[in-house]
Amino acid sequence: MTLAAETAKPTRRPFLLRWIDGLRPSSIVVPTFLVAWSLLVLLPLLVIVVFSFFSVKYYKVVYSPTFETWESLINSGRWLSAVRTLRVAVTMTVIELLLAFPFALWLAKGCRSKYVKAAIITLLTIPFFLDASSRIIVWRSILGANGAVNSLLMWLGVTDAPIEWLLYSEFAVHFGLIGTHFPTMVFPIFLSCALIDNDYIAASQDLGARPSQTLFTVIIPLALPGIVAGIVFTLVPLMAAFVEPQLLGGGFVDLLGNSVNSALQQLKYPTAAALSTFVVALLGICLAVLILVLRKRADISAMFVAMKR
Amino acid sequence: MTTAPPASPILEIIDAVHVYDDVVALDGVSITAAPGEFLTILGESGSGKTTLLRIISGLETPYSVRVLRLGGVDVRDTPAFKRNCTTVFQNYALFPHMSVGENVAYGLKVRGTPASERETRSREALRLVQLEDMYDRRVHQLSGGQRQRVALARALVPQPDILLLDEPLGALDERLRVDMQVELMGLQKTLGTTFVYITHSQEEALTMSDRILLMRHGKIEQTGTPTDIFDRPVSAFAARFMGVDNCFEGDLISLDGERADVMVGGERLAGRWSGKRKPKAGEKVAIGMRAEWLTLADTAPDRDDINVLPCRGDGAIYKGKYLDRTVDTGVAPMKARIWDVASAVPEPSFVWWKKDDCIVMNA
Repeated sequence: MTLAAETAKPTRRPFLLRWIDGLRPSSIVVPTFLVAWSLLVLLPLLVIVVFSFFSVKYYKVVYSPTFETWESLINSGRWLSAVRTLRVAVTMTVIELLLAFPFALWLAKGCRSKYVKAAIITLLTIPFFLDASSRIIVWRSILGANGAVNSLLMWLGVTDAPIEWLLYSEFAVHFGLIGTHFPTMVFPIFLSCALIDNDYIAASQDLGARPSQTLFTVIIPLALPGIVAGIVFTLVPLMAAFVEPQLLGGGFVDLLGNSVNSALQQLKYPTAAALSTFVVALLGICLAVLILVLRKRADISAMFVAMKR
Repeated sequence: MTTAPPASPILEIIDAVHVYDDVVALDGVSITAAPGEFLTILGESGSGKTTLLRIISGLETPYSVRVLRLGGVDVRDTPAFKRNCTTVFQNYALFPHMSVGENVAYGLKVRGTPASERETRSREALRLVQLEDMYDRRVHQLSGGQRQRVALARALVPQPDILLLDEPLGALDERLRVDMQVELMGLQKTLGTTFVYITHSQEEALTMSDRILLMRHGKIEQTGTPTDIFDRPVSAFAARFMGVDNCFEGDLISLDGERADVMVGGERLAGRWSGKRKPKAGEKVAIGMRAEWLTLADTAPDRDDINVLPCRGDGAIYKGKYLDRTVDTGVAPMKARIWDVASAVPEPSFVWWKKDDCIVMNA
């Protein structure tokens, strides 16, 4: 009796709760994302591209289309810094991958202690919360002609004169970039390695695969989504790096990031815009190559379906 | 009945001890298996059976072991990938990034077998498990039963000396499980491979095995043929595990050869001794009888080869093929299985069973 009476008069729940219950995620997320992303990211990018076709006269932007900026970019040889940037970024990505993969694999599968694992993950976040300039400037006093390394080497008698290429060189820039971009390579690979079921590794061994065979035929293919994510998250910021080249390159290693920065400081907005457009274009080409290479080897989206089991 | 393992066992473990983070998983376990034997390791979850299997396959290194031989060769320091035994994992562990055929061929690929031979042998193995059309399928397109067969084919292709099966039928539904039991037995007979099979189901163990090893808390409780273990459980634990429904504790009055007299709750019951270690009079023992051996009646039959207890009818559970009747005796509630429901006594006042059908064991 009472039950029937209660069901006949449903209690009205607060509006907010009813609204949440009635939500259909796809119908909200898709348009919201498209609008927000267009306004926040795509539109500025478009403005940058357009800006690169304007010019600046007497510190004022002249809004009439011209190829002046692009021509000067090519004639002044600034495009060479684009090539250098690409070379440094790709080299560093490869170095980071070679360093990060074994480390991430060990962290995910080899490290038994929960505390050690938590401590390492915490330590890896340091580059994210400590400002790059303050971290990098320290290396000057270590790598410089009168720095700790040269002093030690000379005291040991390994060399008579300080080694010059330790600082203000491409070596120093590469060295400085290692620490900053290591975590972004480690984290995605660590996550995808941690998701590999131990039974797959056990099954591979059990079926007679040597450790190297297990690594190349089971672990790396299954960690591929993480490896790709790591490459993207490392390569992209590397293309825009400017702190390390500025502080450790000593003006000898001019990368695109530095050019953009100095162009902005000189209020040459069209130049900065043109350089940025160039970076974005280069990145687009890099990622397209990555996708094309991977398409032939493995279908990443199918991998996610398979991983769910 | 029990055949002693021949002189050269294919698997020999003596005194294996293993510890996980202060938990003793194996406590001095010794087993042997003869070539071509179907050996089942039976036990509850956490009894150490999977650990034992992983020690045989080499995926786990025991804390200590006196002898660990596969095919007569000491493998204590041999890594898993060099041991000639393969495992069918509980969750199958089929590589998700490979097709069915690539999965099955994996054991040959890593041994450097030429591609053409690899494919022939993989297709042959898939035919053996009746999945020959599935060679090019992706793993996630298969059903549970099909994955199980692929895992089996994958483990069989490298022609192992010993096939280890870790509860392979656990995730399948009832019907499929029964079919697969028969299929596995047939396969084992055809191939002549030694099977070491892990299960927690006494029914599976009884159906399939040549020999059963019952484990409890990292130790071996009892070893024997299915009939041995079914008819002569050595302890209350073994009896309960093998489905002896009524199992009580009592005090031993006397033990004369096979015949044991036990005092249970003020009643004197007689049974046949099947325990391991002979107890002295007055010691605690366990007494057990299967529900299907009990008869409910209005009057107690006048025979001296039976135990009789007065009882009162209690509950009944309808099971389809039979009826499980609970009766309250002075000793304890007992379960009797009635097959012929129509002619059953509605209100029984006595329960009786043969003394030979009553087993007395170590508590």
